Amino acid sequence: MLKITAEELQIISQYIHEISGIYLDQSKSYLFETRLSSIAEELGCTSYRELYNKAKIDPAKKIERQIIDAISTNETLFFRDSGPFELLRHKILPEIIDLRTPHSPRLKTNIKIWSAASSTGQELYSVAMTIRELIGTQLDNFTFKLLGTDISDGAITQASYGKYNKFEIERGLARQTLQKHFTLFGDSWKVKDELRSMVNFRKLNLMLPFAGLGKFDIILCRNVAIYFTLDDRKKLFNKIADNLTDDGYLIIGSTESLTGICPRFVPKRHLRSIFYQKKIEVL
Amino acid sequence: MNGLTILVVDDDPVIRRLLEQRLLKENYKVLLAEDGSKGNETLSSNHIDVVLTDLMMPGEIGGIEVLEFAKGLDRNIEVILITAHSSVDTAVEAMKKGASDYLEKPVNFTELFLRLQKISTMRGLLRNAEDLRQAMDVTENTAAETIQNLEIVAATLQTRLDNVESILTSDTMVSEDKVADALNIILNWE
Repeated sequence: MLKITAEELQIISQYIHEISGIYLDQSKSYLFETRLSSIAEELGCTSYRELYNKAKIDPAKKIERQIIDAISTNETLFFRDSGPFELLRHKILPEIIDLRTPHSPRLKTNIKIWSAASSTGQELYSVAMTIRELIGTQLDNFTFKLLGTDISDGAITQASYGKYNKFEIERGLARQTLQKHFTLFGDSWKVKDELRSMVNFRKLNLMLPFAGLGKFDIILCRNVAIYFTLDDRKKLFNKIADNLTDDGYLIIGSTESLTGICPRFVPKRHLRSIFYQKKIEVL
Repeated sequence: MNGLTILVVDDDPVIRRLLEQRLLKENYKVLLAEDGSKGNETLSSNHIDVVLTDLMMPGEIGGIEVLEFAKGLDRNIEVILITAHSSVDTAVEAMKKGASDYLEKPVNFTELFLRLQKISTMRGLLRNAEDLRQAMDVTENTAAETIQNLEIVAATLQTRLDNVESILTSDTMVSEDKVADALNIILNWE
C-alpha cells in the first residue's frame, strides 16, 4: 500500500475538507492510506501529492468524486436505531398531518421531508415505509415529497436505483416489511415502485449554500455532522434552521447534541427519544 | 481442534474414509454421510460449518440438492463440491447457487486445507465484525441516553438563565424586586 508522508497528510486532509466538509484526523494516516491507495494506484500515481495534483486539474472532477466516495462512510441500514422511526410514527407524523391538513377536504395535505445525508437511501426508504404503514389506504389524500441528499455520487446512484443485496437487506428489515415493500430481483431486492415514487435523491454538499431547496416540515440529519469541525457544525445547523418551517421537526443522531452548536433549536422529549424544534422568537 | 465441523458426503466408501482420516489429522471434527439423503439428515440434526460433498451421487439427492438444503437451513454453512473434471460446468453453476468452491478429483489435499483455512479465517473476521457491531450498539445506546438527558438539562438551565437575564435587565421593576425574583428562580433550581 502506498505510504503517505506528513506533508501529504496535511495537503490531502485540507483538500478533503474543502471538497466535502469531512474532517479527517491527521494522526490517523492509515485511514487515508486504506481509503485512497487504490485510487492512487489505479491512476498510476506514485505519491499522494501526485493524486492531489491530478484531482485538482481534472476538469470532469471524476477523481474528486472517487475520493469523496472512498472517504465518506456509508454505514447505514434500514430503520437504523428504532427511536427516530417510533418518534415519526407516533408523534411527529400525526402532529404534522394535523397541522397541514387543509380545511377543504378536496385539497391534499402537503408534507416535505428531507434526509440530509441519505447515504445509500435506507433511511429515506424507511421513512417512506413508516408513512405508508401509518397512512395505509389514505395515501391519495396526501402529497409527500421526500428528498434524500448526499455528497457521494456512488451513494446517490445506489439510493436512486433502490436495489440492495441480501446482506444490506437482512440488517434491520423484518421479513414481513421486506415482502411488502420489495421485490426479489436476481440475487438482490428492489424497492417497489410505489415506494420508489415517493422519494427523490440528489447530490448535495452540506458545506455549500442550500440554494433552491425550500423549506421542509421534517428534516433528518443523523450521524453526518460528527465528521465536521465544530465551526462547520454550527454553520450547518444554522442553515438547516433556515430550511425548516417554523413549526417543523428536526431529528439528529441519537448520540449527537446541539448544545452550544445552534441556539435556534430547543430539544423536546417524547418517550425515550429527542427531537428539536425552532425556538419561538419573542419580539 | 481446528474449530470447524465438517460433513463429508460421498457414496464412495474409499474416498469417504480417506477424507475423514486426512481431516481428522488436521484436527477438524468430521461427520460422514454415504449419500445425499443421509447428508441432509445429518445437516438437520447437527451443527455443521462446512459440507464437503460429491457433486454426482446415485439417488435423487445429488451434490446440488445437498447444497440447496444446507443453504436453506443456514446461509452461513459453507459448501465445497467435489467434482470430476467433466462436470466443472455444473460446479460453476453451483457456485452461483452459493457454493463456496469446488475441487476437482482426485482431491488435492493441500488445496483443500488451504480453502478450509480461508473459511476459518473468514468466519473469525465475520464473528469479530459482529462482536464489534454489538459493542458499538451497546456503547451507542448508553451514550445516547446520557447525551439526551444532558441535552434536556442544558436546555432547561438555558431557559432559566434567560428568565433571570430578562428580569435583571427589565426596565419596569425596581432593583430590589429584580434581585428577589432572580434569586427566587435560582434558588428553586432542582
